[in-house]
Amino acid sequence: MFTKKFDRRIYIAAAAMGFSLLFGIAFGTYTLWPANLETGYQPEQPIEFSHAVMAGQYEIECIYCHSLAEKGPHATIPQTETCMKCHNEIKTKDARGEIKPEIAKLLDYWERKEPIPWVKVHDLADFVYFDHSRHMAPASELECADCHGAVETMDRVERVYSLKMGWCLDCHMEPPREGTPEGQETRAPITCTTCHR
Amino acid sequence: MKEEPIQRPPIEDASRGPLRASSPEGKRLPSRHDAAGIPVRDDRPRPPRDLSRRSVLKLMAASAVLAAGSTACTRKPPRHIVSMADSPEYQNPGAPLYYASTWTEGLVPYGIVVKTVDGRPIKIEGHRDHPLNRGASSAAMQAALLSLYDPDRLRTPERKGESITWREADEEIIAALRSARSAVLITRSSLGPSERALVRAFERACPAVRHVVHETVHDGPRRGAWRKIFGKPGTVRPRLDRARIVVSFDADFLGTEPDALGAIRDFSRTRVPAGQDGEAARLSRLYVVESAMTVTGSNADHRVPLRPSRMPGLVKALSGALKGHDAPLTAFCRKHGLDSAVLAALAKDLASHQGEAVVLGGAHLPESVHAAIALLNDAIGAPGKTLEWNPEPPALRVDDPAAIASLLERGVDVLICLGVNPVHDWPGGGFERLLEKAKLSVGHGLHADETVSACTLSLPSCHNLESWNDAAPLPNLRSLCQPVIAPLFDARQEAASLLAWTRALTANGAESEAPVDWFGWLRARWETGPLAASSSEAGSLRNAWEEALRKGLAGQPGSVDFPGPDREAAEALAATTQPPSGDFDLVIAPHHALLDGRFANNGWLQEFPDPVSKLVWDNAAVIGPATAARLDLAEGDWAAVGAGERTLVLPVLIQPGTAPGVVAVTLGHGRTRCGAVGERRGFNTAPLVGAGKDRSAPRFAANAAIQRAAPGSRPAGQPDRYELVRTQKAFSQEGRPIVLDCTLGEYNRDPASARKHLHIPEGKQLDDEWDYSKGRKWAMAIDLSACVGCGACMIACQAENNIPVVGKAECGLGREMHWMRIDRYQDGDEKNPEVSQQPMLCQHCDNAPCESVCPVNATAHSTEGLNEQVYNRCVGTRYCANNCPYKVRRFNFYNYTKENVTDPVRELSCNPQVTVRSRGVMEKCTFCVQRINEAKFRARNEGREVDDGAIVPACAQACAAGAIVFGDLNDRSSRIARLAADPLAYRVLEELNVRPNVAYLARVRNPHPDVPVAGSGAPDRGDDQHEGGGH
Repeated sequence: MFTKKFDRRIYIAAAAMGFSLLFGIAFGTYTLWPANLETGYQPEQPIEFSHAVMAGQYEIECIYCHSLAEKGPHATIPQTETCMKCHNEIKTKDARGEIKPEIAKLLDYWERKEPIPWVKVHDLADFVYFDHSRHMAPASELECADCHGAVETMDRVERVYSLKMGWCLDCHMEPPREGTPEGQETRAPITCTTCHR
Repeated sequence: MKEEPIQRPPIEDASRGPLRASSPEGKRLPSRHDAAGIPVRDDRPRPPRDLSRRSVLKLMAASAVLAAGSTACTRKPPRHIVSMADSPEYQNPGAPLYYASTWTEGLVPYGIVVKTVDGRPIKIEGHRDHPLNRGASSAAMQAALLSLYDPDRLRTPERKGESITWREADEEIIAALRSARSAVLITRSSLGPSERALVRAFERACPAVRHVVHETVHDGPRRGAWRKIFGKPGTVRPRLDRARIVVSFDADFLGTEPDALGAIRDFSRTRVPAGQDGEAARLSRLYVVESAMTVTGSNADHRVPLRPSRMPGLVKALSGALKGHDAPLTAFCRKHGLDSAVLAALAKDLASHQGEAVVLGGAHLPESVHAAIALLNDAIGAPGKTLEWNPEPPALRVDDPAAIASLLERGVDVLICLGVNPVHDWPGGGFERLLEKAKLSVGHGLHADETVSACTLSLPSCHNLESWNDAAPLPNLRSLCQPVIAPLFDARQEAASLLAWTRALTANGAESEAPVDWFGWLRARWETGPLAASSSEAGSLRNAWEEALRKGLAGQPGSVDFPGPDREAAEALAATTQPPSGDFDLVIAPHHALLDGRFANNGWLQEFPDPVSKLVWDNAAVIGPATAARLDLAEGDWAAVGAGERTLVLPVLIQPGTAPGVVAVTLGHGRTRCGAVGERRGFNTAPLVGAGKDRSAPRFAANAAIQRAAPGSRPAGQPDRYELVRTQKAFSQEGRPIVLDCTLGEYNRDPASARKHLHIPEGKQLDDEWDYSKGRKWAMAIDLSACVGCGACMIACQAENNIPVVGKAECGLGREMHWMRIDRYQDGDEKNPEVSQQPMLCQHCDNAPCESVCPVNATAHSTEGLNEQVYNRCVGTRYCANNCPYKVRRFNFYNYTKENVTDPVRELSCNPQVTVRSRGVMEKCTFCVQRINEAKFRARNEGREVDDGAIVPACAQACAAGAIVFGDLNDRSSRIARLAADPLAYRVLEELNVRPNVAYLARVRNPHPDVPVAGSGAPDRGDDQHEGGGH
C-alpha cells in the first residue's frame, strides 16, 4: 500500500503505539483501582485552613461551622460570615508582626465579599442523592468521622473512605437494629430509589 | 417567609459569572434549535467525508495521543463548593423554601405556592387556601416556570434593535409624553387593583393619555348581555357544587372558560358516588349542547351536538317547555334531527330542580343567546342559589377593537403597549399599520414579540415570578403576588415603568408624594386598603403585611345579593337573534394551553396534547366526519375557511362529535416572532376574529363557509397534505374493558356492576412472591368519575420530573416523553360518540413484566412496591418498553435535555431533586419518589411514621378534581386502602396477572333514566338487561 520507507515509519509508529497502549493500560489500572482513585484525595484549598487546629486543638464542634448537617441535605461549608464571628477579633500576627497570611486571605475575601472557592473533597456522583440530615438523626447512630475520618487530625482534609456504592452498602446492609421500621430487613433501606432517582 | 425576599442577590455561578451577562452585544443569544424548532438533536459524530491515506494516519495519530492522554487523566476535575460570603436568612442549601404568590398571566388570578431551592423557583403548586383554585393548578400555571427560564426572553431595553439603557428609554418616553397631544395606553384586561389605580394616576399625570383594554379571548358578549339585563357591570359565577342539573350551551366551563379550575373542583365533587349507608348515591347530571367537542362535552351525561346559531331556538323552546308548551321543543328536535328524548328529559329535569339547576352559555356566543339563557336561569330559580353575582370582576371590560382602531387611525403621538400583542392577535389582523401611524411606539413585554419588536422602543418585562403585584379574585378578597427570584435579565415590571413615567410627569404635583418604587406603591396601597381593617387585630400594620405576604391572601370573600333582572330588556335582547346566514358556523376558541398565543414559546404547552383531539404543536380547522365526507376532505387536507369577506387556508382535522355545520378553530398558534420554540407553529386564526355579522360576539360567525382549498392557495412551501401530529392515533376500546363504567342506576342496584364483565383468570405465580404485608406498600387510586381529562397532571409531572420536550417530528414517531398521559376513547356513533378518559402512567406492577427482561437489572422492584428505574445503570436496550402492556415507558432517543446543560438559563429550570436523563436512557413514572423520600426522611428524622396524605405526587397535587389519591396500602385507615377496596375499583389489564398498583375507580355516569341507552360502544352495556330485568 505504501512505499518501503513509509512502511518502516508505520511499523515504528505501531510499535510506539503498542508500547504507549500497554503503559496506558497499566497506568490506568493502577490509578482507576477504586482504592487508589477515591481515597487519599487531598486537594489544595484556597486557604490553608487546618481542621487539626480548629477541630483538634480548639475542639470546635463540627456542627458549629457545618451547621445545617442535621437540618438539610447538605452539611454546608460555612459562610465567610461564620469565620468572621471569631476572626473579627482573632487576627494572630506572625513573627514579623503581620497578620498571618492565611488569616489575611480570609480577611481579604471578606473585605471583597467574595465567596471562597473551597474545593470539594467528598464529592459524590451527580446521580446520588445523599441526605446529611437523615444520617445525622440520632437513630442512625453515626458520627461524622464514620464517613469523613478523623478530620480533627488533618491539616489539609483528605478523603479517607471511597464513598463508593459498595462502601455505602457495607453499612446499609447490616442487620436491622432496634427502631428499624417493620418490613425492612437491613439496617437502612437498600432499594435503588433510596439514593438514585 | 419574611418581608422583601426580592433583596436576594441574583443567582451566580462563580465559574460562569452573573447570569444577566448575555452575549457581548447584549443581543439575544443565538438559538439552539434547528429550522423545525426542535432542540438540536442530531449530534452523532459523522465520519470524515474523504477517507484518504493522510486522514487515516492523522486519525490514528490523534487517537493514540488521546488514548495516552485520557488514561493519564484519571481524576474528574475538581469541583468547588461556593458558600455565600454573607448569607440571607432561611438559607438551607438543597432544601426547599415555599412562597405564597399569585399567578396573574391567565384570565383569572389563581393562588400559587412556589417551591424554591437554592434561591431559584423549581415548581409551582396551587395555593390550598385560595378560594378559586383551592390547591389545584392548570397546565399553563405549571408551565409558567418554563417561561421564566426562557432563553428567548428580551434581555435589555432596545431602540429599533439597538440595545439602550433604561434611563435612555425613560427619557425618550417622558419627553414624548410631555409634548404629546394624544397618547394611547393599551393593556391586558387582567390588571390587579393596584395596577388599575396606577393606570388612573398615569392618566391624571398625563391628560393626553387614553387607556384602552385589548384582549382577544374575553367574555365580552356575556358581560355585555348581563350589563343590559342587570343594569350594572359585573359577572356571574356558577356554583356548580350546589347544582344537581348543569346545562351548558357551548360553554366549555371545564376547559377553556375562565376559572375552569374552580368549576372542575365544584363539578367533580358532585360526580363521585358516595351514598350514605343504605341510601342511594346521588350525582349531578350534565347536559351539554355544543358545537365542537370539548372537555366539557366529553364529560356530559347527555351531549347534543348543535350549531350555535340554532341554540337560541333551543333555549326558547326549552323555556316554552318549562311553561308547559312541549310542542315547540318536539318540533325543534324534529326539524334539526335531535334526540327528542334527551331534550324532553332536560326540560323535565330543569322543571323539577328549581334552585338546583344552572344553565351556562359560552363566552363566544352572541349577547342575544346570553339574554335568553339569563331568562331561562331566572325561570329555574338559579340566581342567588346556583349563580353568584360578582360586582368586581377580576378582569377589566375589553374595549371594542374598532373604537381603538379609529383612535389610532388619526395618528397618535405616543402609543404604549403594555403586555399585549395586538400585532399577533388583533381581530382581523392589520395592527402593524396602526402601529406605524404612532409617532413613538413603546412595546413592553416578556419577549421581543410581533408587537414589541415592531415598536420604536422595546422594553423587557419581568416575569410573573419576578414581580410584585396583587389581584382581586373575588369581592373583598385580595391576593398578593411576590417575586421569588430577582429578575434574570435587565427587565423591569410594566407597572414599575408606568410608575416611573407617572412620577416624572407629575414632578411637584400631588403624585410626587407617592412612593418611588412599585413595591412601595403596592405596599402603601395595601396598608391603606385591605390591611387597614385587619391590622387592628394583628397588632400592627407591619405584622399584617407580613401575614399577608406569608398567606398570599387578605380579606374574606363576601357574598353579594344577586341583582334583579330587567326581564323586558332581556326579552328584547333575546329577540335580536339572527338566523344563520351561511352554511356553516365558525367558532373560534382559545387554545386549551396557549390561550391567545401568549404562552406560545413554551415547549411544555406546545407539546401538551389537545384534551380532545390529542393534537400537538399545531392547530387546524376542526370539522365532523360527516361534513368531511360531504366535502371530500381528509385529515391534513387544505381547506379554505371563510367568514364574511375573510378567508384563511387551514389544514383539516376530523373530530367525531363535531356538530354538523360547524367549523371550529383555535387561537394562539401562527406566531411569527416569539422565540425559537413557538415561531411558525400552526396558523394564526386571529384574522377570522370579528368576521361575523354580530359585532358583539367576535369569536363567532354564523356566515362561515368551508371548502377544499384551491391548489394554488395553500401557504407557500407547504406540502399537499399537512402533517397533523396526534399523540394518540386509535380512539376505540375495540370492545375491551379498559375504561369501565356503569350508570348510577346500575351502581345503586349493585355497586360492583361495572366490574361484572371483567373476566380475570386465576393467575399462576412462577417465582417466589415478595411479602408486601409488612412495612409500606405505595399505591395510587384514580377516580374516573371525578377526572374530567383536562391534563393538568401531565404538565405538573413534566415540571416536577425534568421531562424533556421532543418536538413535533419526534411526537409524530410516537416518541413523546410524558410520563403521564390521558388516554381518550370515543366509542359508538361517530356523530356523537360516548367518551371515556383515563390518566395512564406506570402501574408499578407487582409482577412487572419490564423487570424480568432487563439484562442489566436497571429496573427493579423496591420493598415498598415501587417499580424503580435506575438511570445510571440503564444501557437502553428498550426490552422493558417492549414488554410493558401499558406503553408508559419512555426512551431518550436523542439528547433531548442537552439544552438544560448547555444553556445557562435553561439549566436553572431543572428540579435538582430529580436526575436529568441523557440520551439512551429509559425513564418512566416514579410515583414522585423524591417526594416519598422527602416525606419519609422528615418523618423518620422526627421519629414518627409518615402520615396518610403527607405524600402528594405532582399529578395529584395539580388535580383540580381531586381524582388522584396516593398512599400506603398497608395502612388500613388510609384513603388509598379504602379506595382500593371500593366495589368500583379495578385494575387495567388485570387479566395479565401483572398486578398493578394503580387502582381505577370505574366511572359512574348519570344519564336520565327516561333516555334509552343509544347504540353504545361501551363493552359492558348490552347484556346488562338480562340481569337487571330480574329486579
